Amino acid sequence: MTLKDQVLTACRNMGRRKIRSFLASLGVVVGIMTIVILISLASGVRQHINRQFESIGLDRITIVPPRAFAFRGSAGPFGINRNSDTKKIITAEDVARWQEWPGVIQVRPGINLPRSVELELKWHDKTQSVQMAGPLMRPGRAIWTAIPEPLAGNLELPNGGGIVLSQGITRSMGFEEGQLEELVGQNVQVVLRTSRGETQSFDLKVQGVSSDMSTAIQVSTDDCLSMKCWWFNDDTLMQTEGYDFVVVNCSDVSRAKDLTERFREDGVQVQSLDVFVDMANRIVTIITIMLVMLASVALLVASIGIVNTMFMAVYERTREIGVLKALGASGWDIQCLVMIESGFIGLLGGVLGLLAGWGTGVILNKGILWYLEYREQPIHGVFFVVTPALALSAGVFAAFIGIAAGWFPSRRASRLDPLEALRHE
Amino acid sequence: MTPDDKEMIIQAGKLSRYYQTGGEVVKALDDVNFSVGRGRFVALVGPSGSGKSTLLNLVGLLDRPTAGDILIEGQSLAKATNQQQIKHRRERVGFIFQSFNLIPTLSAVENVEVPMMLANVGKRQRRKRAMELLERVNLPHRASHKPNQLSGGEKQRVAIARAMANRPTLLLADEPTGNLDSKTEAVVLALLSELLRDDQVTMLLVTHDLHVAEHADQIIHLLDGRVERIESLPEKGNTTGGRDEQ
Repeated sequence: MTLKDQVLTACRNMGRRKIRSFLASLGVVVGIMTIVILISLASGVRQHINRQFESIGLDRITIVPPRAFAFRGSAGPFGINRNSDTKKIITAEDVARWQEWPGVIQVRPGINLPRSVELELKWHDKTQSVQMAGPLMRPGRAIWTAIPEPLAGNLELPNGGGIVLSQGITRSMGFEEGQLEELVGQNVQVVLRTSRGETQSFDLKVQGVSSDMSTAIQVSTDDCLSMKCWWFNDDTLMQTEGYDFVVVNCSDVSRAKDLTERFREDGVQVQSLDVFVDMANRIVTIITIMLVMLASVALLVASIGIVNTMFMAVYERTREIGVLKALGASGWDIQCLVMIESGFIGLLGGVLGLLAGWGTGVILNKGILWYLEYREQPIHGVFFVVTPALALSAGVFAAFIGIAAGWFPSRRASRLDPLEALRHE
Repeated sequence: MTPDDKEMIIQAGKLSRYYQTGGEVVKALDDVNFSVGRGRFVALVGPSGSGKSTLLNLVGLLDRPTAGDILIEGQSLAKATNQQQIKHRRERVGFIFQSFNLIPTLSAVENVEVPMMLANVGKRQRRKRAMELLERVNLPHRASHKPNQLSGGEKQRVAIARAMANRPTLLLADEPTGNLDSKTEAVVLALLSELLRDDQVTMLLVTHDLHVAEHADQIIHLLDGRVERIESLPEKGNTTGGRDEQ
């Protein structure tokens, strides 16, 4: 019996009991639908994460001194490593040297202030409590939110005397959007306050206002260093500590990867965004695997349903199987017929499950976007992404479940004694 | 093997088939010896439980003998492998059952195609052959009908066409007229006789009806699993009834 005849006969047998075949495939529908929803969601989330990181710039890498995380990552007021004899620091010479490396477009050093530093922004009679922004992520900025854009002026800072404000600050200070341009070029004061009440004021010129809704400011590196020196009452910090971080803009993403290695060889720690991307993707993958394993329970139950259906089908067709054997069908012919039919039930469930999963994803996507818009966090894009690979895998997997479920019934059918089968009523 | 043996299509020697039921051994066939020549029509006659169907099943390799041997066209098949059994059933034997055993979801022509499908005959070729056979059993107009749309006689004629599909050398018929009325019975027997004569097919026909057995060339009388006697009947002309359109 040729494969084509086996397939056609199996299809015809399936058509004989349409309702039963459909009901048997329902379990697979639910299982595959759940898996498709979960995987398409994971795929969508992963795409969003990658897009966000790409928009920040995967061609940008951040360098910190060795063991910076251990000594200063969560630095408090006393978080300075005083064992400066043995440690490597990032100096202005390093920055100048790196600037000459091929593939490097720009090297921007930066200084971190301890988190306990209280900062206030003063402009005329208005005062606002603010935080210092970090090198990549601004405080309170979620991965989903849009990259800050300049609302007024620009977001580039000179080496000294400049400040970039965020929209969150200007709103709190009572500025309307139309008034932001007036702020650019104005002098503001950033006031540092210790817990003992001592204060120090720094005059800075507003370079621009970003669309960021947090209350973070970005200050020129030299001023940041001055603030830190005042805070620690140590004018030699640059000599003993060097820069806290350096942001390097590379000519392209592949250059960034090569340079990452080169910087590591130079004895500094490198945080490139692809590490974050990998990490985020790994977390998404782990969560997806766990959820898919849970959804697989539904498929296991579905496969038991198919086993039951196929056992019943074999029992009902016992006499027919006997006739086929008397007419010269081999055990393998019979086994294939049952397994192919069972595989088709699985495939039917897979296709319906895929369609149901895709449809549910589309509806949920609309719901989520509507909700985010309602919460004033508009994000554009698709959260549920059914890739061709996912669609194909879902179908193949469902068919495999069907074939596997048909194995035992088909073995039983193939081993039926033709004489006994012919006597079956 | 003598030159006469070459003409023997079936040779059974000390053929036995025992069944174990509980602690008791039932001798369905016990030390049976007989031969059937090529192109002969042999009736197996006997009361219920005499071993007629068991003998037929052994010849069709649906069952295996407990002892003895059976030679089909000179080939010993008592210890045939599974593959040999399947090949024998598919290529050398055509079965005709009392209850027709047509596949209910297939049309008449598709039912006739089944043995050819199992023998990997191409779709077009088997459809052509199936239609030819349906014409021979005078049912071309019923080709697309399902078994439940056919009368008993028509079903059996489709079953006969199916049995002839792979051009077998042996037709094994188990009470083929058992479920038919006398008029239809005559039609079926006439058809079988005609096929045997035209295609030089050998037929073993199980019946408990002596009237049916009288159409054969030879009658093997079985009783309690043993051959009671073998009766040869005189040569017949083509006189057995006419075709009956149902």
